Amino acid sequence: MTSSLASVLSALLAQAPTTEELQEQINLDSLVLLEVFYFFTVVIMWLIHVGFMAYEAGVARRKNIMSTAMKNILTIAVVTPSFYYFGWYIYGCFEHGGPAEGHAGPAEFPGFCGLTAPWSEGMAGNLESSLTGHLSLVFFLAFLLFSWTTASIMSGALIERVRLSAYLILAVVLGSGVWIMDAAWGWSAGGWLTTNYGFHDSIASLVVHGVAGAFTLGVLLNLGPRIGKYDIQGRARAFRPHNTHLTLMGLMLIFTGFYGFYAACLFIQSTVFPGWLNIYLSPTTLGTIAMVITFGFAGGFTGGWIASKGDPFWTLSGGLAGVISVSAGADVYHPSLAYLLAASGGLLVVWVGGYIEKKLRVDDAVGAVAVHGFCGFYGVFLVGIFAGGFPTGVNNVPSSFGGQLMGMLAFFPLAFLPGYIVSWVLKKANLLRVPPEVELEGLDMAEFQQDFFPEFERVPETVVLPDGQEVEAGPILLEGYAQVNGDRAGEPAGRR
Amino acid sequence: MIDSFPYESWDEVTTTFWTFGPENSTGTYVLTVLGIALMVLALVYWVWLENKKLNAQAELLRGAGALLPPASPTAPGPGFKEPPLAGPSTDPGP
Repeated sequence: MTSSLASVLSALLAQAPTTEELQEQINLDSLVLLEVFYFFTVVIMWLIHVGFMAYEAGVARRKNIMSTAMKNILTIAVVTPSFYYFGWYIYGCFEHGGPAEGHAGPAEFPGFCGLTAPWSEGMAGNLESSLTGHLSLVFFLAFLLFSWTTASIMSGALIERVRLSAYLILAVVLGSGVWIMDAAWGWSAGGWLTTNYGFHDSIASLVVHGVAGAFTLGVLLNLGPRIGKYDIQGRARAFRPHNTHLTLMGLMLIFTGFYGFYAACLFIQSTVFPGWLNIYLSPTTLGTIAMVITFGFAGGFTGGWIASKGDPFWTLSGGLAGVISVSAGADVYHPSLAYLLAASGGLLVVWVGGYIEKKLRVDDAVGAVAVHGFCGFYGVFLVGIFAGGFPTGVNNVPSSFGGQLMGMLAFFPLAFLPGYIVSWVLKKANLLRVPPEVELEGLDMAEFQQDFFPEFERVPETVVLPDGQEVEAGPILLEGYAQVNGDRAGEPAGRR
Repeated sequence: MIDSFPYESWDEVTTTFWTFGPENSTGTYVLTVLGIALMVLALVYWVWLENKKLNAQAELLRGAGALLPPASPTAPGPGFKEPPLAGPSTDPGP
């Protein structure tokens, strides 16, 4: 009996895993958890793009709905390959400003840079269970979704007069070039702004939102306002959104997707790090950033509601502005601080939006320059004041107002100039804006040869005058068309 | 039971199969070049096709006289209609 028990025990012990095997299994489980985590942040972030599409299509007049929505959909078609072939490589290899030396592949340059080339092991199917193995694919996808977001921020501002193809070219430049360059500089542990100046923008106030806003401003200056937007004295008129409910639903979807965006900005691997890290590899927690985003929305809604005196569009836009205002410091802010700062962002964005529209006379159809551009820079500015001294990155360089200012000074020209220059070139090639005849009739008829509400009567379009009176838009649009056409009325449309 | 599935003995075939993505291989380089070519050509085609559609529609509208300036541009009167639809152009593209 004793001998048989001993033999059973020895057989079981022979099959039991060793400590090394268990360690290997724990490592694998930890990596699988991380892979699954990033996968689901990507899934949740898709809602941002559903939201942008609904948001912008709701703002558009009914004659421009499908052309507006198609911009958002085709963003995915062009930014995905361009980010794969060029963008990710920029993030991996341009941390010090220019390209790293010996970057042809992992063999020549071991590490992250070598894994970002599209022909490398890190960018295709592979079975390596490591941070540089198949995990790098879901990490890439999270960044790809950030890229779509960046391009979509610009999208809404340009609606109802930009050519779809011009937008797609601009989306490639912004989504796969400009923003990821600034991310390499100031949104990575090895970026020169991080290692030299302690630049701190943990959930991308500036590197995504502010940069997209500055790029958009450069484009808008060349694109010009929609026909009829300003009267002859330069006073702003307002076009009625065709469906404000759709716009508000879109914003709520964007907000939901932002939780995925926030989560994707963190990192954890339990067998290597004892806890959550931000993008700079500084400790934080998922709970911390989840509290900040939630209180950011609360504060932003409150600020937007107060400043706009209850306007639905600006109340919800205030929520977005509030979150963007606190994103840079979301890894260290107390919830009460986030609430207060977000409320200030929600307040300011209404006034900044009005200033851009009425004083600068820039026709930003959705307020993207104010919400994303202004608040993106504002968020980084706030970190310099309220989180100055916080150690950032693997070198624990203290955050400072000077370091934050350095980031702002580096990123504004990095974003604004490409937007302005590329749109200027497109304008000179007559490829930026649709012909004025098409703009008045509506882009959907020219682009898709159909009205997308065929069962509904086409009621006269209206416009809100500077004094608040709502009138039929027809005469105003035709007057604007005559002003735009001027003495070129006899030229073929293709040459205008 | 850990490692009871013969995963490691099978994965060599997967890893080295040319469509799966072995690094720095001829197949990977060729696919990269073809992918970039498709991306660029698609963008060029988007620009060309849209330009063709927009110009055709603008010509149609101008030819139909649908957007003549109003007689009294600052005084919208009762019954004034917005610019009419011209309908789809005769050249919707391929």
